[in-house]
Amino acid sequence: MPLHYFMEKLNLDEAELQSRRNFFEITDDDLNRLAGLRGFAEKYIDDIIDDLYQLILGHPEAKQQFTEHVTLVRVKRAQRDYFLGLFSGRCDLAYVEDRLRIGVAHERVGIPPKWYLGAYARYLRSIFSRLLIALPEPAQAHAAYQSVEKLVAFDTALAMDTYIAAQLDALARHQAAIRELSTPVIRLYQRVLLLPLIGTMDTHRADQLMETVLLKVVDEQAHVIIIDIAGVLVVDTKVADHLLKTTEAVRLLGAQTILSGISPTIAKTIVNLGMNISAMHTRSRLADALELAFEIVGKRVTSIAKKPAGTPPETAQDS
Amino acid sequence: MSAHGPIPVLRIGSTLLASIQVELRDTIADAFQEDILKMIAKTGATGLVIDITGLEVVDSYVARVLGDTGRMATLMGTETVVVGMRPVVAATLVRMGFRMEGVLTALNVEDGLALVSDLLVRRHSGGH
Repeated sequence: MPLHYFMEKLNLDEAELQSRRNFFEITDDDLNRLAGLRGFAEKYIDDIIDDLYQLILGHPEAKQQFTEHVTLVRVKRAQRDYFLGLFSGRCDLAYVEDRLRIGVAHERVGIPPKWYLGAYARYLRSIFSRLLIALPEPAQAHAAYQSVEKLVAFDTALAMDTYIAAQLDALARHQAAIRELSTPVIRLYQRVLLLPLIGTMDTHRADQLMETVLLKVVDEQAHVIIIDIAGVLVVDTKVADHLLKTTEAVRLLGAQTILSGISPTIAKTIVNLGMNISAMHTRSRLADALELAFEIVGKRVTSIAKKPAGTPPETAQDS
Repeated sequence: MSAHGPIPVLRIGSTLLASIQVELRDTIADAFQEDILKMIAKTGATGLVIDITGLEVVDSYVARVLGDTGRMATLMGTETVVVGMRPVVAATLVRMGFRMEGVLTALNVEDGLALVSDLLVRRHSGGH
């Protein structure tokens, strides 16, 4: 997914940026302090990044994840940019975009959040120990560390948000795919459609069912649609009501509905619950429903003399 | 042959074909009902096909007028079929609990005319 997608998804505009900065308590003093540490950063960058790689390469699972997906050279270069970014003295939209780019890249290659979080923690420890060496005054080191920590926390939040947004997006795409699969209307014959229903019916699916059925009936100019409910787990009043509504809407279009796959259990449920589905044609077997459908479109299924098995079609002759 | 209102009504043999192409506001719907019934009385039409392919929105009042018109025409001895309802309209009507009972439907004008003539053939063969 492109970067601007995440900027939009996370509502990252000037106002949101300010709100985040306020919550993470990143002040201009912090940014100035970090910019002032640029020399420190350049001096210790190799040390600190090597530290990080010790962590990653020392852990078999993390090592595999990293080396499998990206070349270490590329990661190292990205890490250098990331690290120096902390000491750029900026925390504006361009900075956020930069940080999101890293999050998106990690998400794309499938690096799970646990490695992020662990790496960020190691980062902070490495920086802290170097700050203690570089800044003789403990109060100075302490203040510098606090500024770093604020910005790293800010970055962590962005990384997690990107990760979650990507996951939600994948989920939405899967749901759309399932929705499409949940109403497979098949054209059985000229002007005869079949909708085999499988699984659990909920209100959302039922609504979608009606819409798809109606559009298909008009598209195909179908005279009959067979709805087979043999695969529906539970038929209760709600499901029956949805089926009735669909039947009624199909009738308004000028077509008919046949309900097939009514098992003894479903028949019992329908009668015991006192549901009136007399507006629908019903059949227990799909074959019977098909015969009825043919009758409605003016066709008939009839027996003919059987051809001997193995006779190729072109040599078959009427006797 | 056409009515006074904004909805043209064609006469095909003994069947009337009304094709609604304008947005059916309440007053137009009322005028349409009036026109159709008068034309049936005048021409002695035995069939009526109302084509609503052009209707994108149908509110409950218009739906009732359409249903009523169909039932009234049927009472006058005219086989009536409403054709070409859009999926969105059908779904909306059903969700509003509107059933258009006593009115026959067909997918399109062609099917509607065929249904009317079928019904008339059956009526005649039944009469003998």
